[in-house]
Amino acid sequence: MQQSTVSSLARNTVLWRIVAIIAIVAVLAFMIAQAAQAAPSQAESPAIGAGENRLLQTLLNGVIFGLLLALASVGLSLIYGTTGLSNFAHGEQVTFGAASAFVAVSAGAPLWAAIIIAVFAGAASGWVQDVLLWKQLRKRNVPHMQQMIVSIGLALVLINMMQIWIGPDRLRLSTESPVKKHFGPFALTPQTAMSMLICVIALGAVAYFLMRTRLGRATRAVSDNPALAAATGISVNRVIRVVWMMAAGLAALAGPLLALYGDTLDFTLGSRILLLMFAAVTLGGLGHPFGAAIGALIIGIVAELATVYAPTPDLKYAAVMAILILTLLVRPQGILGRKERVG
Amino acid sequence: MDFNDILQIIISPTTAAFALAAIGLNFHYGLTGLLNMGVAGFMLIGMYGYGISVSHGVPAWLALIIAIVGAILFSLLLGWPTLRLRGDYFAIVTIAAAEIVRIIGRSQWLKDWTGGNTGIRGKDFKGPFEQLSPFPPRLIRVGPFQFHGTLSGSWWLILVGWVLVGVFALLFWRLNKSPWGRVLRGIREDEDAVRSLGKNVYGFKMQALVIGGVISALAGIVWAHGNAISPDSMGRTTTFWIWTMLLLGGAATVFGPILGTALFWAIYVAIKQLAPIVLPNLASTQVEPIALAAVGFGLILLIVFRPQGILGDKREIALNG
Repeated sequence: MQQSTVSSLARNTVLWRIVAIIAIVAVLAFMIAQAAQAAPSQAESPAIGAGENRLLQTLLNGVIFGLLLALASVGLSLIYGTTGLSNFAHGEQVTFGAASAFVAVSAGAPLWAAIIIAVFAGAASGWVQDVLLWKQLRKRNVPHMQQMIVSIGLALVLINMMQIWIGPDRLRLSTESPVKKHFGPFALTPQTAMSMLICVIALGAVAYFLMRTRLGRATRAVSDNPALAAATGISVNRVIRVVWMMAAGLAALAGPLLALYGDTLDFTLGSRILLLMFAAVTLGGLGHPFGAAIGALIIGIVAELATVYAPTPDLKYAAVMAILILTLLVRPQGILGRKERVG
Repeated sequence: MDFNDILQIIISPTTAAFALAAIGLNFHYGLTGLLNMGVAGFMLIGMYGYGISVSHGVPAWLALIIAIVGAILFSLLLGWPTLRLRGDYFAIVTIAAAEIVRIIGRSQWLKDWTGGNTGIRGKDFKGPFEQLSPFPPRLIRVGPFQFHGTLSGSWWLILVGWVLVGVFALLFWRLNKSPWGRVLRGIREDEDAVRSLGKNVYGFKMQALVIGGVISALAGIVWAHGNAISPDSMGRTTTFWIWTMLLLGGAATVFGPILGTALFWAIYVAIKQLAPIVLPNLASTQVEPIALAAVGFGLILLIVFRPQGILGDKREIALNG
């Protein structure tokens, strides 16, 4: 008992550190957004400004990409924590969000509404999946490894359905070409600044949910020990269903934001970052949602730095994979993981 | 529906290559319980090792040795940090390592060696193997089958490919029955029990990883001779296909990987032929995704309703995950 209180206290301080980091990033993002709005686009400023610091700009890009990745990975981590499943179909949830938003935009919805539609569609898909598939597998006591292979099958189904749905071509979510605004050493579009803000708010909301609400506490209890949680009267299946909806919803939010950030989307949008998400989740500690967020930020920064410092920019994902393997060498339980979990 | 196409694909070198890779995976997963999600990476190592060597003037036998040594080193490198860890970590690391191989392969960085994303063309590395062919260099028809005698997906390659499949199936059968195989199966069922008997679990796992890895690398070389060395056709999807083949036939069985691979391709070709008939207003570009989605759906049904596959024994495959 004593032990667990201590560890939960320790985790609380970790939480506050994360909240602080997120808050700093939020303030930064907000200031940049404000400045970008306020400053009229300067015609004379070149594409890569003379005053711009390439390293700082790369770091900022890394933070942006990391935040988007965090949004996508937190759900993966939550699912792993509560059900023990490494969900290989999580990338397709991201694509699903982007595709839904694209279809909504094509139907005439404004972008913000399309993103909201995508989130609801994503959450609904999480619910449907849990009811039709994952709950049945849990009921049949299918081992985790086999469930993982089922998720691989599901990923194959979903990615190909997505290809049939939105076609094999590269699409764009927004037809207006965003203008980069300069602010101090940084350059970014107002749209990207807004995306960062959305990420920070969403991640903050997840943190609040997990730490301060009843259902969130129940979720953490299920993560810790499902049998014990069930014994204390928590409905494990209900918690897992909420987790699936949340995870799929968050991934669906990440989808359109990623599509806006890269200014392109196709049916492989999510599957291309699946391994980055796994890297983030592993780096942070499998099953620790906050760890996933920290891991994602690191992965994002490494990926962007690699575009500058790797022999060729197309090696950036290889750099991330290398980080993943190095993590397992040095600290297999991840940054926030506990040693016993590794087994 | 053209049954000839189906028969043709069943004996084709591609099927032999995949059967070989499935046998390699069978050493990893079927025998030892290692969730190797990077089979395509091992295949790439094999084909790059062989292809780069041959295209730079190394004799074929030495190139083959280089490919095998490459696969052994890759297995050791991969196994060293991960074999002590839980199964899903191993899965994630192998998939990541396979992606690293593919990304480096298709990168502009080593373009002079690997050919970048276009890979290495067949004529740069197939020569030495094709010169060994005992068959005449023309199209040869035998019953319903028609292949070239020597070039690319040839009778020669079919012969070599299926002989390799036979040899390694035999090896699997022999090792599976040996005391060594019993230790591995013990590790698969309960690692701690085997450890408490004083066995070096880590070492045994490493041996299985290396053997399966070398077989996968050979599969890569066979595949490359039937097609070309192209990094992008050896992505995650290929690994998932090989898993489907193994699980379809039955993991931990001698003939499971072979039967599974043959059935997989037969069904895959059949679906591709049937899809436009059943759904007449399907665009031709949608046939491939439909067939692939069907593969995924088949994999789900298989795992849920018959995890042991066609030939497998349900008690054998009870993995404690």
